[in-house]
Amino acid sequence: MRVSLDLELKDEPGQLLLALEPIARHSGNVISIIHLREEEKLRAGYATVHFTIDVPDKGCLERIVEELEERGVRVTKLGEVTKKSKLTLLMIGHVVDTDLRDTIDRINELEGVMVSDLSLAMPHPEKESSAIVDIEVSAGVDRHRLMERVYAIAKEKDLEIVRSLEV
Amino acid sequence: MRIQIIGFGVIGQGLARVLLRKEEELRQRYGLEVSVVSITDISGTAHAEEGLDLRKALSVARETGAIVNYPGAKEMSGVEAIEEIEAELVVEATPSNIKTGEPGLSHMLAGFKAGKHVVTSNKGPLALKYRQLVSEAERNNVEFRFEASVGGAMPVINLARETLSGDRITAIEGILNGTTNYILSRMTREGLSFEHVLREAQELGYAETDPTYDIEGIDTASKLVILANAIMGIDATFSDVKIRGITRITPEAIRLAKERGYVIKLIGEVKNSHLEVSPRLVPETHPLNVDGALNVAMLHCDVAGEVTVVGKGAGAIETQSAILSDIIAIWKKVKG
Ligand SMILES: NC(=O)c1ccc[n+]([C@@H]2O[C@H](COP(=O)([O-])OP(=O)(O)OC[C@H]3O[C@@H](n4cnc5c(N)ncnc54)[C@H](OP(=O)(O)O)[C@@H]3O)[C@@H](O)[C@H]2O)c1
Repeated sequence: MRVSLDLELKDEPGQLLLALEPIARHSGNVISIIHLREEEKLRAGYATVHFTIDVPDKGCLERIVEELEERGVRVTKLGEVTKKSKLTLLMIGHVVDTDLRDTIDRINELEGVMVSDLSLAMPHPEKESSAIVDIEVSAGVDRHRLMERVYAIAKEKDLEIVRSLEV
Repeated sequence: MRIQIIGFGVIGQGLARVLLRKEEELRQRYGLEVSVVSITDISGTAHAEEGLDLRKALSVARETGAIVNYPGAKEMSGVEAIEEIEAELVVEATPSNIKTGEPGLSHMLAGFKAGKHVVTSNKGPLALKYRQLVSEAERNNVEFRFEASVGGAMPVINLARETLSGDRITAIEGILNGTTNYILSRMTREGLSFEHVLREAQELGYAETDPTYDIEGIDTASKLVILANAIMGIDATFSDVKIRGITRITPEAIRLAKERGYVIKLIGEVKNSHLEVSPRLVPETHPLNVDGALNVAMLHCDVAGEVTVVGKGAGAIETQSAILSDIIAIWKKVKG
């Protein structure tokens, strides 16, 4: 799992190492370190540093936090980062006449799934049109279930679905 | 090595031509002397113990369209030829049939039973009865190879099984049908409709008069089944594939995709034991984005990572690359 945590470190040399040791010891992998700017400091003499790390599980994270606190490093913010991936869907058929709004709403109903972008091509009112949508998919969403829902809607509305390769 | 050719159309005749061209080379490089002792098509069988005159067989086929017109040829069926004529290897190149697998299935089984190695380009029997064929070949202690059945000249089966033998293939994606790739590529480039490009492809001879197998994804599905079995060890058959073709793809859809940096390709995919053929959005920069009538396959390997091969998926001569490689592999194995 990926987590972000803000740590308050004394504004003096060697403090970063103090924070890094427990992370490394409990199998954490540092993705990024950002020093927050002066005006975001909570306490004089302390600097807030924003870490993004990958940890194998909750247990490891708990041990890291515990050890940081033991060393006098305050953890001021802690949260899981949900990794999002993108899925692009092309729909061909009477996408407008079959209520595009409803199609999108029904995709959005799934937890962790959000249609984020849409373009439409209508060559002729009587002819089939097409729409392409980007869908943001949070980590942990069952893509298979998502596609099953999409295909069920497509069947009902006689739409052809072309989805992006998973890359 | 004495071989029999069953099916003397594009592929059977292509083999005869390449054998003529490479006679000397095969002898020098591999010590392999190929003697074609019989050729069978629907009309009958030409047979000569000392080896047929391939030039004559080709001209008979070209001029009369029936091998039975070869001097001394008989009205003998493929199965009879396999049972009665002495040979070490059968090349099976009759039309692919995805409903019954026939006549190829009977030819292959007869070959195994007669203790003959079989090399084939015919995907129908493999897509329907892979397990049965492989186990019959094993039971009779003969070799069975079918590189040409998937992707024509594009090497994929032997590549995965031999060159990548230390890897486990975890997933496969590919464009396994040249006709649909040609149609989609041309629709993309020219902004033309599916019907228009299909008609044009038929006139140029790139698409069959009955294009159903290609455009409905059936041909791709057959090949996918072979790959799933042969290189991933999945016990799948044709009816396990979820298939959608390309008939509903429109120029507008292609344009919309392009605006987002995608092209549309008919992709066969095996992943998590799930087999699917469907049009997909492929990023323009992706290795699977190959143009024209080319075929491509991407193998996801547990050690090598991704390995991608591109090649001509069909062709009278090009496909012989696969057939020859199978014949040579068998020759190397049996001569010890
Ligand atoms: N063409 C390619 O580039 C290509 C590439 C890869 C794989 N393949 C596969 O290779 C196979 C052969 O393809 P092709 O293009 O050569 O087909 P083709 O030109 O139609 O030739 C098929 C041949 O099989 C003969 N035949 C049909 N029924 C027979 C029977 N019951 N007994 C004996 N012979 C019989 C035909 O005889 P008649 O002409 O007398 O009917 C013809 O000579 C197919 O399975 C195809 O899918 C083809």
